[in-house]
Order: sequence, then C-alpha cells, then structure tokens
Amino acid sequence: MSKPQPLILLSFLLLAVVLIVLPHGLSYSQREILVFLTINILVVSSYRLLTLTGEWSLGHIVMMGVGAYGSALYTKELGVPVPISMILGALTAGIIAWGLSFPLFRMKGFYFLIGSFAAGEIIRLLWKRFRDPFGGPKGIKRIDPFPDIDFGFVRIDFFDPVNYYYFALIIVILCLVILWRIEKSMIGLTFHAVHWQDKLAESTGVNVRAYRTLALVISATFAGLAGTLLAHYIGTVNPNVFDIEQMVFVLTWAIVGGTTTIYGPIIGCIILTALNEIVLREIGLEQGRPLVYGLILIASVLFMPKGLEDVVKKVIELMKQHVFRGRIKDV
Amino acid sequence: MKNFSSQTKREFLKRMAATISAGMVMGLPKITLAAGETIKIGFLAPLTGPVAAWGKPGLDGCQIWAERINAAGGIQINGESHPVEFIGYDNEYDPTKARAGASKLVIEDGVKFVMMLGGDTWPGAQPVADRTGMLFSTLLPSDLGPDTSTLIAPAEVHPIYNVTGVQWLAENYPDLKSAVICAQDDALGIPSVATYLAAFEAAGIANEDPILFDAATTDFAPIVSRMISLNTDIICLDTCYTEFVHPLVEQLFQQGYDGTVISCTADFYQQMIEKTSVEFMEGFIFQFPDFDDPALEQDFINFEDPGGFFAEYNNRHPGEWGAVSWEYASIMDLWKWAAEKANSIEPGDVLASMLESGKGEHAFGTADWWGSDLFGIDQALVGNWPVVAINDGKARIQEYKWIPGWYEEHGEILKKYFTEYNIMWDQR
Repeated sequence: MSKPQPLILLSFLLLAVVLIVLPHGLSYSQREILVFLTINILVVSSYRLLTLTGEWSLGHIVMMGVGAYGSALYTKELGVPVPISMILGALTAGIIAWGLSFPLFRMKGFYFLIGSFAAGEIIRLLWKRFRDPFGGPKGIKRIDPFPDIDFGFVRIDFFDPVNYYYFALIIVILCLVILWRIEKSMIGLTFHAVHWQDKLAESTGVNVRAYRTLALVISATFAGLAGTLLAHYIGTVNPNVFDIEQMVFVLTWAIVGGTTTIYGPIIGCIILTALNEIVLREIGLEQGRPLVYGLILIASVLFMPKGLEDVVKKVIELMKQHVFRGRIKDV
Repeated sequence: MKNFSSQTKREFLKRMAATISAGMVMGLPKITLAAGETIKIGFLAPLTGPVAAWGKPGLDGCQIWAERINAAGGIQINGESHPVEFIGYDNEYDPTKARAGASKLVIEDGVKFVMMLGGDTWPGAQPVADRTGMLFSTLLPSDLGPDTSTLIAPAEVHPIYNVTGVQWLAENYPDLKSAVICAQDDALGIPSVATYLAAFEAAGIANEDPILFDAATTDFAPIVSRMISLNTDIICLDTCYTEFVHPLVEQLFQQGYDGTVISCTADFYQQMIEKTSVEFMEGFIFQFPDFDDPALEQDFINFEDPGGFFAEYNNRHPGEWGAVSWEYASIMDLWKWAAEKANSIEPGDVLASMLESGKGEHAFGTADWWGSDLFGIDQALVGNWPVVAINDGKARIQEYKWIPGWYEEHGEILKKYFTEYNIMWDQR
C-alpha cells in the first residue's frame, strides 16, 4: 500500500479542488440542483449501509422524512435552534427505525422489503392524518432556514445555493467518512458476515438481529440528517416528497451504481441526476423521464449487473497496468 | 418553450446583474426594456407526472395566446411593441424542483412574471419570490397568506367556485337531499372537501362523512362501492386528479350508479363518454366550459375570441382540452392589461396596476380582488363562475353564478369547515 499513496492523495486533492470549484462553473439553478444532489448522495450512501446486511428497504426515504419533519417541528414548535434541531431530527429517525426494527426483523429478504414499505406508508399516513402537528397533506411550511453566519467582515447567507452547497458538502463528507469507517471496522465486517453467512455468523455467537438493527438505525439516522438538510433549505416538507416514487429513484441510483463499494451508489446518483435534471431538461425530454429511467435500469441489469462501479474498477485496473506498468498490486 | 438562441452581450450583462443581485440577496434591479425586446414570462408547473393535466395544457394554451398577441402587435409599453415569449419549467409538482425552477426563470432567464399551479410547489418557490420581489400567480388561492405579497390568484379561485355547482344543483333539482364526497387526501383535495361540505350544507343537502383516499390509490372499485352503498342522491368527486376522475366515473358506470354526479373538473370528458355512455354522462356537472360555448359570446366576457382559441387549441392538441387550457392564458390577459396600463413590466408596477381599483377583468367578467377573510390578503380575483353540465355528450354552460354573493350569505359556513380542516390562513 505504500507506493500508491501519492496517487491516492493526488486523486483526493483533485477531487477536493473539483468539489470546491464546481458550483462556480454552474448556472444558478444548476447550483440549486447541486445542493439537492449533495443531499441525495447522503441518502443513497446511507441506504447502502443497510444493504451490506443483505436487506433492501422501501422505507428509507420515509426515514429521511422523519428527520425532516422532526427537525422542522423541533424548530417551529419548541423553538430549538436549527443546528440542534437538525441533530435531534436525525436522532429521531434513528429512534423510529429502532422501534420499527422489532416487527420488521421478524422478516427477511422479500418479506422485509414489503414490510419496510408498509411501515413507511404507515408513517406517511400518520403525517397526512394528523394535521396537528404534521400539517396533514400540505405538510409543514415556513420552516426556519439554517441561520446566517456573520463573521463581521463576511456574512454567510445560506439562502445562496453555493453557501448551502459547501455547508451540505462538509456534512456529507463527514458522514461518508463515518460510514466508511463503520464499514471497515469489525462492525462492518460483521454486516458482511450477516449478509453472506448469517447462519454461520449466528453459530459463532454473532447476534444477527442486533447487527441488522444496528445497520437499520445507523442508515436511518444518516437519512434523517439528509432530510434535515433538505427541510431547512427548501423551507417546506410534505408527505409526497417522501413517497414511493422517490424511493424508486434511490433504488435506481443504488442498482445502476452498484452497492459493493462506497462510491458505487454515489456514481449512480450523480449520473442519473445529471441525466434527469440537466440533459433531459436541456433537450426538452422531461416527459420521457420514466421511459429513460426504465431503459437505463433494464440496460444496467442486462449489461452491467455489477453496476457502474464495476466500470470504475476496470478503469482503475487499467490505470494500474498502464501507468505503473503492473508494479502496483493493490489500490 | 426553451430559448436556445445565442445570448447577446446585453442579455449576458442583464443576467449577470440579476445573478449578482440575487446572490447578494437583494431585489431584482429595474432594467429598461429596449425597443422591440421580447418580454419573457415564466411557466412553472407540473408538465409531467400525475398532476401534469393541470400544467401542460396551460402551457399549450399560453403558446397560442402568445402567437395571437404577437400577431396583433405584441404588448404595448411606452408606445413600443414588445413580443412575448413563454419559458416553461417542469416542477414535477415537487417543491425542490419548484425552487430550482423559480431560480432559473427569475435569475437566469430574466422573466417578468411567473405563473404556477401552486399547491405543494408554492412553498418551494416562495423564498425566491420573497427575495427577488418577483410577481407570481397561482391557481390555488389557498397558497395566499398575509406574507405572500407578490402572489396573486387571478384566474381560478379554487376551490371556492365549486359552491356555484352545488347552488345551481339545489335550485334546479330541489329533490336532491343527500351527498357523499370522495377525494384524494392532499393539498388539492382537502380544501375542496371543506368547500363542498359548506356548499351542500348551505343548500340544505345532508353530508355523509367524506371518503378520503391516498394519492397513490390505483383501485377505485372499493371506494365507489362504499359511496354507492351510502345511497345518497349525489356523488361528489371533489377536485380529484384527472387520472382519478376517469376511473371513478368508469366504476360508477360499471357498478350501475344512476344518481347525480358533480365534480370540480371533467378534463378530457370525451374519453369518459367513450368508456361509459352518452346517457350515463348526461347531466354530469362540473365547472370548466369548452370555449366554443355560446354562453361565452357575451359582452361581459373578457376572453378574446374564445371560440377561435378553442378551435386552434383542438386543432393542435386534439382531445387535450382541459380545465387549465385557457386559465393561464386568461391570467396573461390580465397581466397584459395591467402592464400596458402601468407602462411597465416591472413586477411591483404591474401588481400595483392590477390591484389599483379593487377590481380586475376576469375571463368571466369584472371581478373583485378579495380574500382577506379566508386567505388573509385581498389578492384573489373573485366574481362570476360558470356551472357546466354535459348535455348530449357536450359540455354546456348552464348558468353563471356570482361567488361573492354566495359568500356574503353563507361565508360563515365555509369558514367553519375551513377551520375544521385547519386550512384558514391563520392555521397554516
């Protein structure tokens, strides 16, 4: 691992420069989309953590909503400052996920998938039915924005998408590092064991259910944090923002990108969002979105079953062979 | 419509100025309109997805409106003629997309007015409106509030006009004594439920408990069975989305319902007739006329050549005429009138010009700027509204009703239901 370190450092440096410079090369509305893209990267990355245990959920986007609703209500109803309410919102999503884990982890595989969908719909229906405090179908409006920061010589206004992008980027990078560290820790290895050899893991004393619960709670907490980032940017939440259609987008990002690496779903999210929000809009094909997404999903399953991450892996392999003439064994 | 033409230096500077000002969180600068310069109007509505039927036909109607206005010399500001162009943005009925779209239209495209469907999407666009002072319009006055000073509801006072259909029904069919309402449980359905409940109560018609269903519902047979089992004289389809109204009507037909049906909309009703029968659809009441209706050829109507507009629309988009096909165009009539009166296209000037006398020229006649009671601000244009019924397979206006007259008499009932459903402006 010693030789490739400069390459890795260079890659990260280059990536950091791109991420910093990126919004300045975009139009105002594209910057807005960049903010949503950054938030969605956290959603799909946190979703991947759950998939490590072999379970795919249809309620993940609702956990994002729990965070958004929670943070909005803590701010509006209890007067909690926005930064604290964001943390509380994320924790609320984690606690709700913990509560849901009791009935949900009586199921596995396809049954868990359907169960998670049902659990998510119950939460969405509660938001709709209880106008007080959730606002009913119209949801919650006029949510306080993240407060401006005034350093005296410079004032940071988070209405500006560039400023909010940098703020969200810092949060998302921190979360990605935490998610990566979890995956590389013993806990992460156990998640993999639970996925591929759950009976064997159980026979060695691993509490499979506890680890599945842990993955669900962690992924929901980060999804909730993504929800709080969204709520305090657009200033409104309603049940439709977190419906099954949005969940299908998350699933598509994960499937097209691949889920064996941390960057797989991120690539899927970036490419499909760019396709949706920039390419299809620019060529006036918004109405063909479902068709295009469907075709991409089918093509991905047929021709890239391991996702876009597999393409990246192959490119890295080629680079290793050509740039370093095969001297580097592993990156 | 997207403008792909290369931008001039002047346009680039204007865009930069607007971007910088928005970045600094200030209002938009006033920029003098050059001779013959095109006036850009934003159209921020769902053009795809389940709510597209209340967006896309409106943009199609606006394109026809623009061609007619441009052919007639454009918009006259300070003695100069200016063509008008619409720039559309599909917000997918999503507040996040609405925010991005509002930013694009106002800051990048330099539009001078933005038309929206409203509802779930308005809160996303509102911060952009607040920061830039841009004039926006909505079809849903429930978006209005004391803090929405740059938002107007000048065409459709949804759902208040629904009272006219019930009022007409009660006057013409006094034997109808009971009703049940079904609606999707969302921001479009609920205010309409409150309004129909008030309208039925005011008309002396007993209400069963409304049947609310989720917007993700695909099977309408159980909903219709439940409604029919209640044995009411009237079944009310509220403001259900077009993709719900059609299967609901099909189910009513298939399950043998033979009572009266009232609905806010009946978009693409010819398709419903094809799936049911002319006899079944006879007397179906709703609120949106075809514009070839003889009742629109009257002096108080402010929509220019409605018959020609309808013919041209159907020529270009056969079978796609719906509730909003004319509404956004009629908003543009009002905007054009106000801008020419003010000799300015600046949002603040146009708004002041519109509201100046407390009255405005609505498509169905002169109307009042109204709404402080229900919405906390007098920026909804309310006056006549037609009651439409299907006769021999064709929608025909039965009568115009004066909405403020109904409200004067029964306003307290409406406020009672608005309060019950937590949709009064001070409850939101």
